Amino acid sequence: MAKSSKKLTPRLRKLSVYLYIPNIIGYARVLLNCYAFGVCFSNKWLFSVLYFISFVCDAIDGWCARKFNQVSTFGAVLDMVTDRISTASLLAILSQVYRPGLVFVSLLALDIGSHWLQMYSTFLTGKTSHKDVKDSTNWLFKAYYGNRIFMGYCCVACEVLYLILFLIVDTQSESLVDVVGSSLQQGSLLSILVALSLFGWAIKQVVNVIQMKTAADVCVHYDIEKKQKP
Amino acid sequence: MANVKKTAPRLRKLSVYLYIPNIIGYVRVLLNCIAFYLCFSDKRVFSVLYFISFVCDAIDGWCARKFNQVSTFGAVLDMVTDRISTACLLVILSQVYRPGLVFVSLLALDIGSHWLQMYRKVLLSLGNMPTTLDLCCSTFLTGKTNHKDVKDSTNWLFKAYYGNRMFMGYCCVACEVLYLILFLIAGKQSESLVDVVASTVRQGSPLSFLVALSLFGWAIKQTINVIQMKTAADVCVLYDIEKKQKP
Repeated sequence: MAKSSKKLTPRLRKLSVYLYIPNIIGYARVLLNCYAFGVCFSNKWLFSVLYFISFVCDAIDGWCARKFNQVSTFGAVLDMVTDRISTASLLAILSQVYRPGLVFVSLLALDIGSHWLQMYSTFLTGKTSHKDVKDSTNWLFKAYYGNRIFMGYCCVACEVLYLILFLIVDTQSESLVDVVGSSLQQGSLLSILVALSLFGWAIKQVVNVIQMKTAADVCVHYDIEKKQKP
Repeated sequence: MANVKKTAPRLRKLSVYLYIPNIIGYVRVLLNCIAFYLCFSDKRVFSVLYFISFVCDAIDGWCARKFNQVSTFGAVLDMVTDRISTACLLVILSQVYRPGLVFVSLLALDIGSHWLQMYRKVLLSLGNMPTTLDLCCSTFLTGKTNHKDVKDSTNWLFKAYYGNRMFMGYCCVACEVLYLILFLIAGKQSESLVDVVASTVRQGSPLSFLVALSLFGWAIKQTINVIQMKTAADVCVLYDIEKKQKP
């Protein structure tokens, strides 16, 4: 009796974490993204809607996790990995439809590099999330991380900018500068949206670069501290 | 006396940034930047630079151990450079082949599995989970060698892969070689991936042989990537469960 119930419980407990509500939302996000990228060339608007819904679910599953007390490490990792892969895939698509494509390849490199380094430094300093950083000397860093709404604006701005860029491009590979320039010059609602997004995007990329330097310092500091306390 | 205390931390920090293996790491980054800048105008130079960077990857690990200059920063720099260079090459391939989404999917799998693997390493070093998984893990982030000490008992392919360093090295090199070959043999227009690979293999030339060998190692590596994601996800879940049991 005791032996069989001891065997069952770990597996059931493991299964129950995989079936947490926020994690199921996470699986839905993955499916949405797979389907979205499957149709991205044949139906741009459907792709954008699905991609945006997935982005909204990103906020929802965090809220659900706290509300239902179903916060899990697996859920946080699933969230982060889905974010990185969906942004990377969108940047890969953008590098195909715009010239020079290497601009988006560089943005992809910066996104992966900065988040990867940030994650390491989070582990090394024992903080729970890279969004909890508040002790840096850099004013932009403090402004960014000190204000969740501002941070949210910058993150959303990036995704919105990339989506808009994908939606307004024609089938042939177009010059990025020309497309952005003409959309800004229109003076339409789109222009305002693009301008707003560009601003938030720029801040986010600058923060990404600073993050890499700060995180590298944390890695170095970790080794130095470790040597001092054998 | 107080001055010595002030300057020492900054000097020590600078000295880690100037470790020989880390300088090799910076060279790798530069090589990759130049390589990708030239990739469309001069494919061969790109391939040579990319391959040299890949070789430096092995060299800097060896240097770190030989000169006793192993550092967390160096390991992270190594890993990030690897991931970004492979990602960029896959993005380039997605432009020159149809269907491009094949390479976007491989990019997703590469990032996803390595990201989860990193979490696995960290959680194992933080947590206390000897009972449910039969494995051993060496020091956190001492170069690439640590995750290769994992010997998961539940999967034979996993054991075969991680049990044999040369086989593992072959699979990793096979992926990079396959991607480089695919880039080199692609024509100017976007070509069908299946057609290009099939016609190359059918040629019966040394290239066919190389492609076949690379395909085999690549297939094994991708299968391992998928298995790694599942195993790493289990570690994330178990970490929470163990944490709840020991308040």
